[in-house]
Amino acid sequence: MSTNREEFNLGSHIGEEQVAGGPPHEHPSLGTELRGYIIGLVLAAVLTAASFWALDEHVIYGPGIVMALIVLGLAQVGVHLVFFLHLTTSPDNTNNALALAFGVLIVSLIFFGSIWVMYHMNANMVPVKALMQQRGG
Amino acid sequence: MSAPSSALRTGRDPYHLGHGPSTGAPEYTGHGGGGPAPKRIVVGYGFWIFILSDVVLFSCFFAAYTVLIHARNGGPGPAIFDLRNTAQETACLLLSSFSCGLASLAVGRRSLLWTEVALAVTGAFGLTFIMLEAHEFAGLVTRGYGPTHSAFLTAFFSLVGCHGAHVTAGLLWLGTMMAQFAAKGFKENIRHRYLCFSLFWHALDIIWIGIFTVVYLIGRITP
Amino acid sequence: MTLLGKLTWQAFPLEEPLPLFSGLAVFLVLIAILVWVWRKGHVPYLWREWITSVDHKRIGIMYFMLGSVMLLRGFIDAIMMRTQQAIAFRAPGFLPPSHFDQVFSAHGTIMIFFVAMPFMIGLMNLIVPLQLGVRDVAFPTLNSVSFWLTAAGALLVNLSLLIGQFDRTGWLPYPPLSELRYSPGVGVDYYCWAIQISGIGTLMTGVNFVTTILKLRAPGMHYTRMPMFCWTALAANLLIVAAFPVLTATLGMLLLDRYVGFHFFTDTAGGNSMLFMNLIWAWGHPEVYILALPAFGIFSEVVSTFSSKPLFGYRSMIYATMAICIISFMVWLHHFFTMGAGATVNSIFGIASMIIAIPTGVKIFNWLFTMYGGTVRLRTPMLWAIGFMVSFTIGGMTGVLMAVPPADFQLHNSLFLVAHFHNVIISAVVFGAFAGYTYWFPKAFGFVLDERLGKWAFWLWNIGLWVAWGPGYIVGLEGMTRRLQSYDVAEWRPWLLVMAGGVVIILLGILAQIAQIVVSVRTRDRRRDLTGDPWDGRNLEWATSSPPPAFNFAALPNVADQEPYWDMKTRAREIGQLVRPEPRYEAILMPRNSPTGFVTAFFAVVTGFALIWHIWWLVILGLVGSYATFVVFAWRDHDEELIPAEEVARLDRANRAARTTRLQERMAERESQQESHE
Repeated sequence: MSTNREEFNLGSHIGEEQVAGGPPHEHPSLGTELRGYIIGLVLAAVLTAASFWALDEHVIYGPGIVMALIVLGLAQVGVHLVFFLHLTTSPDNTNNALALAFGVLIVSLIFFGSIWVMYHMNANMVPVKALMQQRGG
Repeated sequence: MSAPSSALRTGRDPYHLGHGPSTGAPEYTGHGGGGPAPKRIVVGYGFWIFILSDVVLFSCFFAAYTVLIHARNGGPGPAIFDLRNTAQETACLLLSSFSCGLASLAVGRRSLLWTEVALAVTGAFGLTFIMLEAHEFAGLVTRGYGPTHSAFLTAFFSLVGCHGAHVTAGLLWLGTMMAQFAAKGFKENIRHRYLCFSLFWHALDIIWIGIFTVVYLIGRITP
Repeated sequence: MTLLGKLTWQAFPLEEPLPLFSGLAVFLVLIAILVWVWRKGHVPYLWREWITSVDHKRIGIMYFMLGSVMLLRGFIDAIMMRTQQAIAFRAPGFLPPSHFDQVFSAHGTIMIFFVAMPFMIGLMNLIVPLQLGVRDVAFPTLNSVSFWLTAAGALLVNLSLLIGQFDRTGWLPYPPLSELRYSPGVGVDYYCWAIQISGIGTLMTGVNFVTTILKLRAPGMHYTRMPMFCWTALAANLLIVAAFPVLTATLGMLLLDRYVGFHFFTDTAGGNSMLFMNLIWAWGHPEVYILALPAFGIFSEVVSTFSSKPLFGYRSMIYATMAICIISFMVWLHHFFTMGAGATVNSIFGIASMIIAIPTGVKIFNWLFTMYGGTVRLRTPMLWAIGFMVSFTIGGMTGVLMAVPPADFQLHNSLFLVAHFHNVIISAVVFGAFAGYTYWFPKAFGFVLDERLGKWAFWLWNIGLWVAWGPGYIVGLEGMTRRLQSYDVAEWRPWLLVMAGGVVIILLGILAQIAQIVVSVRTRDRRRDLTGDPWDGRNLEWATSSPPPAFNFAALPNVADQEPYWDMKTRAREIGQLVRPEPRYEAILMPRNSPTGFVTAFFAVVTGFALIWHIWWLVILGLVGSYATFVVFAWRDHDEELIPAEEVARLDRANRAARTTRLQERMAERESQQESHE
């Protein structure tokens, strides 16, 4: 292909792990990259430990535990995305971030939507079990 | 129509046949300006989209679990889960995700030895995870709490089992990957494939975060 | 535990003459065709040029052919249902309930999954890479796998004609009826495995096209310069990626219930059948837009081309498309308002369902304003587009009626609903597919279809649609529910007779289309499209020859405008130089053909069939075969081949010569016309 094509092919030499190519830049050193993974590992381990620890009712105000667990879980997802999957907010990552945002939207619609719909359905309708018992006598 | 572009004024490429970029500085790939993206970006992006679709698949099983958590048919609830086992599984998967990342660094530096070592470690942790899960499942079934006992257990076994099936498929892929690195070296298409594998493996760990949080931990405090 | 699982002689409908003979006839015709192909020595050609092809244009054509064949199958089901309801007034009719149930289930399944989807995906395959100005989709081999998996699903559905029976629970197998306890036969399993296999193919198509559209475009083609069909294809494929996993998961749960005694949707052990409705429609509603959005894109292209004007409100069209893409995920409950989620939930979903009509309305107005003030040419594709706008607006408004929950409580599962969705799906998706088919046929095959027969087909279909489904609204309001094998309400009778007449009119329309193909192929030498641009088109697909070379473009075009090809033509006229200078020809790397898709589909059919009939050893064999195919594919080294620069130059020069001659002839014609006017 013509020369102008090659300008855009420079991306193929940078960090293997990145979902999308960034603008052409220097290959980061082993130390830098390794440090990223180690920070990710430590953060993930700490957050996991915190999740298991939060379950103990004496640590957190009881009704707040679920919220705390969700927050810790989401934080850890964030850690994985940033340190292991190298998702950043740089302009070259826009497409990946947008796709992720779309995915998160769909997942929340399906997950929370289903729970909401089914909760109302269960609250309004005779439970199947009761129905069966009525019939079975 | 719009005013004639600079290309027409300068007399350069009046027909837009691809002799060169018609508008000033090249814009960056993927946003419209620069033409088709290089293969590595295309492959990575395609797999990223696939992973998102896989996450949507899991969201249905998560929804089913949450909806059916009280449908116990007179049987037990999430209290039967052994959280120590869960913690061990979590540690295995996190470490395997980390060593998978190290394998990426080795691939980036074309070191066959370190690549294979890191992949073998990844696989070993993955296999341990699967064995821990199988142990948990077998324990539940022998206690009479198999998936056919209640809708709650059905949802639990399906969600966690679906993740386990993904990990098993990942292990199969990992073995193929190791063989390919050994047989073919760091060819471009093999590296692209490895990029996909590492995305897959990290994504499985992300799904697991959802599982241990929703199924095991929040499940435990659900009455 | 036998060697053949549940498969015995009882699986063959030896006692029921109708399915036996129709099934046998279909398979005999198929075998006859295969034998003929074999005897004529076409097999190597077919294998080399079509079956193993990874060329997006070839795959698109094969998708469209699959859709056409399945349309005939689904339409025969439609004729049977209309005939049954026309004669089954206080009478049993000619179809016993067990058979009638299979017919309506097969009709819906086939029409949605194996007609509408292949039509839309086929046209996307054919056109999207051309419009983007690139050489292929992102993953060409995967594309072939997608097609063959879809074909595998279609084969399984049709296999149920002869071996066993099809699903009798409707096109969506609602539990608890579809659970093992109430449907112990293989019908639901046929349905589930066929849809699972083709669903995986569709999901891969989604991944492929999202990546293609977002990452592979000609230089300079910004998002706001993409043709509208590409935008709608992007939205539809995003919906595929987001929605099809839900279908896979839901049917997977049903299969787990049926095969290993799980309790997702059973009425025992705490299972909840409402969960199935909830999940299946979380896929089902987006599916409607997966079909409709590409059709909207086709109409946008057609209306703009045949009005000789740029699309009105291009940006608002993009916003409307993406708004539909998102909102379509927030309305699924309107398919089961009556299931008792309560006033709060129902009203919120009702309002969301009304809101989604707004971007659709924006689109209708944009098409109308594109026509306004334009030089409208009433060629066949444009007729389909105008017919769509009229019928779809009416059908859409009956949909808004049903978005009101209290009204829906009256109309739910009545023929009013059935009339509504036939009205919108036929006018949008089927008319859209036919508009695209007539519009892009010359691009695919190099000659234009017969106009006169095309117009006949349009009028017959359009009138047939209203005669067949207009009365459906009336009997629906008179209380007729869907899927009735027989009835005893005298008021319905005349309307059902009219509806049967409507089906005959549509049949004539289909015959006109078959005649159109035959006539056009026979007279193709008179209909050649030498310029590659028979309609005075505006987008890049018309910038290359018809049919395009394997590599589409000898040199990737540079895009500087929203309508790149129109822009090129305008410039050529401005400088008064019709012949474009040659680009610098360079060798082009193209993906090599691969049998992976065909082999994968073969193993998919084997595995699916074995699962349906519980032949476990064959399941294992099929799965091992699939994995082996994967490894063999992953192991190959030469997956691309170079087309030498001389070959590129030769093809492009031939195309240029033909084009130049034709253009000069046209100029001469125009000049002589002007002289005679003076």
